[in-house]
Amino acid sequence: MGRKIRILVAKPGLDGHDRGAKVIARGFRDAGFEVIYTGLHQTPEQIAAAAIQEDVDGIGLSSLAGAHDYLFPRVIELLKEKGAEDIVVFGGGIIPEEDILALKQIGVKAIFTPGTPIEEAVKWVRENIKPRK
Amino acid sequence: MLKEFIAQKTFMLPPKASIRIIVDTIEYCTKEVPRWNSISISGYHIREAGATAVQELAFTLADGIAYVVAAIERGLNVDDFAPRLSFFFDSHIDFFEEIAKFRAARRMWAKIMRERFMAKNPRSWMLRFHTQTAGCSLTAQQPYNNVVRTAYQALAAVLGGTQSLHTNSLDETYAIPTEEAVTIALRTQQILAEETGVANTIDPLAGSYFVETLTHQMEEQAWEYIRKIDEMGGMVAAVERGYPQAEIAESAYKYQKQIDSSEKVIVGVNKYATDHSPITIWRMKPEIEQRQLKRLQEVKQTRNNPKVKESLQQIRKASQDGGNLMPHLVNAAREYATIQEICDVWIDVFGRYTDPGYF
Repeated sequence: MGRKIRILVAKPGLDGHDRGAKVIARGFRDAGFEVIYTGLHQTPEQIAAAAIQEDVDGIGLSSLAGAHDYLFPRVIELLKEKGAEDIVVFGGGIIPEEDILALKQIGVKAIFTPGTPIEEAVKWVRENIKPRK
Repeated sequence: MLKEFIAQKTFMLPPKASIRIIVDTIEYCTKEVPRWNSISISGYHIREAGATAVQELAFTLADGIAYVVAAIERGLNVDDFAPRLSFFFDSHIDFFEEIAKFRAARRMWAKIMRERFMAKNPRSWMLRFHTQTAGCSLTAQQPYNNVVRTAYQALAAVLGGTQSLHTNSLDETYAIPTEEAVTIALRTQQILAEETGVANTIDPLAGSYFVETLTHQMEEQAWEYIRKIDEMGGMVAAVERGYPQAEIAESAYKYQKQIDSSEKVIVGVNKYATDHSPITIWRMKPEIEQRQLKRLQEVKQTRNNPKVKESLQQIRKASQDGGNLMPHLVNAAREYATIQEICDVWIDVFGRYTDPGYF
């Protein structure tokens, strides 16, 4: 049995809507992942740094305030710059359908929109994220 | 303000500094702007963050208690400021629970004002409130169902005695509403107010065995929470130790599990989940941001910058030394100091509050 999957759940930008991020973080923890929650008001720089420092396998980005199309790509860009592009980035929140395609094209592996059951996100993580080491 | 630390999270300064500014506002309004509702003591955001109806009720009233205590400590007479306190509640989808919640709130606040704070003016006992229908109850799936949910929630708010009402739009879970969506939300209120007749009677459900029982139960449960919070030393202390935040995180998780297991039905999501046609959503024009930045530049160039500097210095001094901040804020606003410039002074003086990140 390998080490547990480590996930960073992050709130980039000024968006204070943290209900979903907290529920997902808790759901992931109950599912047996190791979870670090960044808390609010994180810059992409802080998120990338935390992800690398905490040696996570995946980052879940939560955005409900419309800034996803700047913030999510910026996180991916920073991970690439720091040689950590093998950390899997996924997201969730209020993200229009049209934007999801663009986000996937720049490397966001999944986007979970309103109505997603916890188990669906957990299942996706189990199937798509492996421990990096 | 306390609801920011508990739920909405648009905080900036630590709790004690925030309360000081709140009391400055109440004090100033009581003297200088007597017909202004000095504060909107809010449960909406608390509910939206995942609190139960009882928690929304209890935490909101406990916040109100904290403000009244702080204002009295400042030296204000309760009957001078209490009549202009106002409240803001959520109207969620459990119809009778919500009506009972509003009625319990009104009854509890009257008791709190009369018995705990010895208010003599009947206007001090009144819980005047605004209600918003529950954004968190609306779905991305089959968005036209949201028109129906909003209508039921609006009805509950009126039957519960709200003074003022906001109805959400059907595209709540997608974006800022389109013109069409927000018009339906407006018509929802107009039909309610002008066709149904429900607003023509005060407390029409009074005497209903069911509603009275529910009201009584909600009140009992809410007093339990308020007692607990009092034992902690009041809401500021409770917030500082993360109590309401932890309660809400727990309730939010429980609620999601109930939906995921279908114990709670959400029509269109975990039951009757048929396909729907996509809807048009509002998108922001990028020119809006550019236009505002240009306006800001122009203001900063054409205002009297030495006077702005001086007004910010006055705010800094009053922040450090004490004294009501409001006259200085009004003065700064008149000189076209920006909100950011004022906030920068406060962050420097009081420090910035950071989210402890409980989950």
